Amino acid sequence: MKKAAKVSGISLSSVMTAAVVSIVATAVIIALLIFNTFFRESMDNIAITNSEQSVDQVAGTIYNYIDDMKGVMDSLYEASLRDPDSVEEFIEDIIAIRSDVVMIATYDIHGNNTGVRSNYKVKDLITRNLSYTTVPTESGISISIPHVVSVLENYYPWVVTINKGVNGSFSNASMIAMDVEFSNIAGYIDGVGIGQHGYCFIMDGDGNIIYHPQQQLIYAGLKQENDDINGLPDGTHLQGGIIYTIKTIDNCEWKIVGVTYLDETVNNRVNTMIIISVLILLLVVLLSFISGSLFSRLFTKPVNKLTDAMRTFEGSASKFVFEPVEGVSEVESLSDSFGHLVTRIQELMEEVKAEENTLRKTELKALQAQINPHFLYNTLDSISWMCEEGKNDEAVLMVNALAKLFRISISRGHEIITIDKEIQHAECYLQIQKFRYQNQFDYSFEIEEECKEYFCNKITLQPLIENAIYHGLNMIDEGHIKIRIRSDGDDVVMDVEDNGVGMSEDQIKELFLSDITDKRGIGVKNVNDRIKIYFGDKYGITIRSELDVGTCVSVRIPKITEENKYEK
Amino acid sequence: MRSKRKNISKTVILSAVLLVVIGFAVFYVMRQALSTGTIFTPRETRPYVAVIGKSDVSAFWISVSSGARAAAAEYNIDMTFEAPGSEEDYEAQNAMIRAAISNGAKAIVFSAIDYNGNAEAIREAIDAGIPVVIIDSDVNCDDVSCRIMTDNYEAGRLAGEHALENNPGTLVVGVVNYDVNSANGQQREQGFCDAINESGRVEAIYTVNCVSTEESAYEGTMQLLAEHPEINTLAALNELMSLGSGYAIRDLGLQDDLEIYAFDSNVISVGMLETGEIEGLVVQNPYAMGYLGVESANNLINGTKLPSANINTTTTYVAYDNMYNIDIQRMIFRFE
Repeated sequence: MKKAAKVSGISLSSVMTAAVVSIVATAVIIALLIFNTFFRESMDNIAITNSEQSVDQVAGTIYNYIDDMKGVMDSLYEASLRDPDSVEEFIEDIIAIRSDVVMIATYDIHGNNTGVRSNYKVKDLITRNLSYTTVPTESGISISIPHVVSVLENYYPWVVTINKGVNGSFSNASMIAMDVEFSNIAGYIDGVGIGQHGYCFIMDGDGNIIYHPQQQLIYAGLKQENDDINGLPDGTHLQGGIIYTIKTIDNCEWKIVGVTYLDETVNNRVNTMIIISVLILLLVVLLSFISGSLFSRLFTKPVNKLTDAMRTFEGSASKFVFEPVEGVSEVESLSDSFGHLVTRIQELMEEVKAEENTLRKTELKALQAQINPHFLYNTLDSISWMCEEGKNDEAVLMVNALAKLFRISISRGHEIITIDKEIQHAECYLQIQKFRYQNQFDYSFEIEEECKEYFCNKITLQPLIENAIYHGLNMIDEGHIKIRIRSDGDDVVMDVEDNGVGMSEDQIKELFLSDITDKRGIGVKNVNDRIKIYFGDKYGITIRSELDVGTCVSVRIPKITEENKYEK
Repeated sequence: MRSKRKNISKTVILSAVLLVVIGFAVFYVMRQALSTGTIFTPRETRPYVAVIGKSDVSAFWISVSSGARAAAAEYNIDMTFEAPGSEEDYEAQNAMIRAAISNGAKAIVFSAIDYNGNAEAIREAIDAGIPVVIIDSDVNCDDVSCRIMTDNYEAGRLAGEHALENNPGTLVVGVVNYDVNSANGQQREQGFCDAINESGRVEAIYTVNCVSTEESAYEGTMQLLAEHPEINTLAALNELMSLGSGYAIRDLGLQDDLEIYAFDSNVISVGMLETGEIEGLVVQNPYAMGYLGVESANNLINGTKLPSANINTTTTYVAYDNMYNIDIQRMIFRFE
């Protein structure tokens, strides 16, 4: 039982804590995995969609802007066809109205500049003209990469040049070139944000950067754009956690590239979710820990206490004192039931013990009540013989002694009598026996006066004296029996000593085994048993004997007074 | 009874530990949430970095300030750019340094007008526990955290080498330098003169020191050429010197007789490159200076180790032939 309890040493509360934690951990991990898969996917999709939408929007805006510029160019061309003379005015108007048009230049078939119209001062000496590009295909339109205007005095704005072949339709020009400020497009691109740190930039068909919001950093050598995206077709590409969305603008050779960082949009949220989950897990651990210890305090520990109590009760039922165990109501009712059980069992045990005692005492009384018929017959025979011989005085003495002997034997049914009475009883018996054995022995008493007032079992001395007479003195003359009663601490010791043949160890043992010896009434064993029943195992008879020297039978009993004789 | 008490104290300790862990986790999450930018750091809690330049009108310094602004935006720094009205006024710079100290600047990005004259104020800043990043022009202090500048001696040599390359004959050199206390100007002059002298083709070098204004440079150049008309090579060691010298040559009509090697660029000096007053420009990388200056300041504030205590920014030689190359365009013409 004890062993089993030790082997299964895992407490219920820790099992509960482990169970709750593992359930929650599993749930959280599964949730995280699902979250990670689905959420990440959907977040990726959202990020990609965002990027695509932004890039579409940028591409659309730039398309419209370029379309608008082309429209201006086309209407200029149409005007030149319709009314060549008013074209100059028309150009003046465009430059005046459209602040983003820096300059409109015309070129003849050889590429010679035939006129520069601008709101700004044109250099006196134009050494190079970056705004001139090769003549586009007949009546086609081309758009240059951004460059600075090199023909204006102290003014070098970044522009794109829109060229259109005009076939000499006005002022012998074969081509019109309009320089449009690039800062409009640049400003727009700068303002585009995708996600938290995403941006977009413009790239030409060869992968050269047309405009980048961080181009100053790139030109200064402080930043680099990913070169791998140069050859990629239109669409969305994922490279190293970065979403690149590429879209070619239809009316020029530019591509819009949107750059978004997956890490920021998705990973941050996933990480936050993981941290929150871990937090939840920790909280659950804490709560289950607390509830576990609470559970343990309310249930496990009381149950353990109850188990211990039961084990103790098992060990020694009679001395067990049950302390009620506190805990949850189930445990308390269990404890109450066990308490009742303990009380009931102890009551029953007491009852059984008491009944047993009563039974034995009854038996003893019955035995005491038995008058040894031989003794009575022999005594009466002696008395009749005395009467015949006319020894009336002696007969009277005998009869008196016998009467006293019986009176004390009966003692109105009391088991406990005073030692004084017991001495009288012994004396009567000795007198009778002395008459019967015609003074073959004599006897003496050595009594401490103090001891007479104490109590003892009745018929304690008589069986011992009987034993001394029959076993000790039977064969020899001048036998002497000495009865000594003395106080020894809290006890009283009564010795019956003879100077007879003595007893061997075997004989002594036999005395304590047989209940009734030779049908002569109450034996030594009976006396010993009665003392032990009444006063406990501490007390009883001890025999010291030496062959041919004598025997001393000692009876040890506690000092019983009038006050406490019923307690025992 | 004892074991029970032990268990309870164990419970309490474990609970406390768990609570602390949870607390830390919450803190971490909050910080994470803050740093992801969903909640922006309020302006007041951003670190303040004072950038103190030498001028706020020259193209060079405008480019520096836009580089600094780009870095400040990227690293979420409260940045101010200040410069005295005159490129001579180191006292005004010192006042700005002290103002930055009292305004609780976490770092100072500084360019010294006067190598010695600014040293004391910089020393005060460093003693106040404020790291100093030097850009463009050095100051006489060993304890600044980082120096980001053009290698001015090499820049001077670069100009000198091109002068030698363009003129196979004998050189008579005039140097139009600015404040004699500016380390930059002295180093450039040194580099230029060393390169010229090493060739053995130099007849004489005449130096004039002007106040850092166009007018002063103009007069200085006029005076130098009046005294030494034989000068055929002129070095103008900063943006304003370039303009003053260029105007002087234009007014004297000496475009074809004399070659100016100038430093830094603006639209006018670029125009002079085209019209021939200026032969070549040594162009620095001011945008990178401003950007790296503030970036280094940010690293110092955050305790990140700087890659190097001395960072040299690039220089480029721009002449008539390459000025409209697309990468040179991007360098010398600012994108507005």
